[in-house]
Amino acid sequence: MSDFDSELDATGLNCPLPILRAKKAIAAMDNGQTLRIIATDPGSVKDFEAFCKQTGNELLSSGEEEGKFTFLIKKAA
Amino acid sequence: MSVRLPGPERRESILGASQRLFAEKGYHGVSIDEIAREVSVSPAIIYRHFKSKQVLYDAVLQRMSAQRESYVQTVINSGTSFEDVLTGMTQVYIKSIDENPDLLRIELQSLLDRNPATSDFFKNRWKSFTDYIEFSLNERLPYDTPNREVRILAAGLMFQGMLREALLQKYLQPEDRLVDVSLFELSHELVRLFLRAIGIEKSHLSRRAVISG
Repeated sequence: MSDFDSELDATGLNCPLPILRAKKAIAAMDNGQTLRIIATDPGSVKDFEAFCKQTGNELLSSGEEEGKFTFLIKKAA
Repeated sequence: MSVRLPGPERRESILGASQRLFAEKGYHGVSIDEIAREVSVSPAIIYRHFKSKQVLYDAVLQRMSAQRESYVQTVINSGTSFEDVLTGMTQVYIKSIDENPDLLRIELQSLLDRNPATSDFFKNRWKSFTDYIEFSLNERLPYDTPNREVRILAAGLMFQGMLREALLQKYLQPEDRLVDVSLFELSHELVRLFLRAIGIEKSHLSRRAVISG
């Protein structure tokens, strides 16, 4: 069993596409479910922080490995 | 001659003056001596903060990228339709150039300088638009569209050319006939024409994207 409910591959895409696709993905999820996002745009770190802060969804984790940024977001109840 | 400033303030004044000079004359047209004269310090002081002109130039770019436009607000506030997001992004981009027209000048200088760091920096800024347009068209255009791939690429280029030209005309070669037209108004018309050209009618202008600030 994976530790997230949905996954979004936004590698190679520049803002606002990762955010926009995350917004759409989250809209289709149930409250409390989690979405894992993989991105390569370094600006996405700040963007997902701002996105979660403003939408109330919870940024559970954020990390970087070999130029790939991963974010785990929990849909607000 | 020079006023003693604390380190961070001195660094900031060097960066500010360098940005202006690089914008006006390009990387090769500016010397460390000239920057030193501009901020009324000796070249040695400049070298104490930045070990070479290239390092200083990279720091100017970095400072500009820290002020990079964020489209997060647009995505949160506007509808998720193609036209709303594109309109919102265009407004954010215009606002960032309006606040710092040096960006536009340095971009043009960098195209001629062929400095890889700068060209990546600016390519990346436009990539937000071309990515968005290409990705969205890829989702929308029927698979049997003639010349599909080239058409999608051309649409991204068309938009970039249109917006860049509007900014150039407005900020670098102001013309009488454009004086009374606001850039926002102009960009709305450009987006509308663009959508028509690529076969998407702007259906609900009332849900126009809102920008913050």
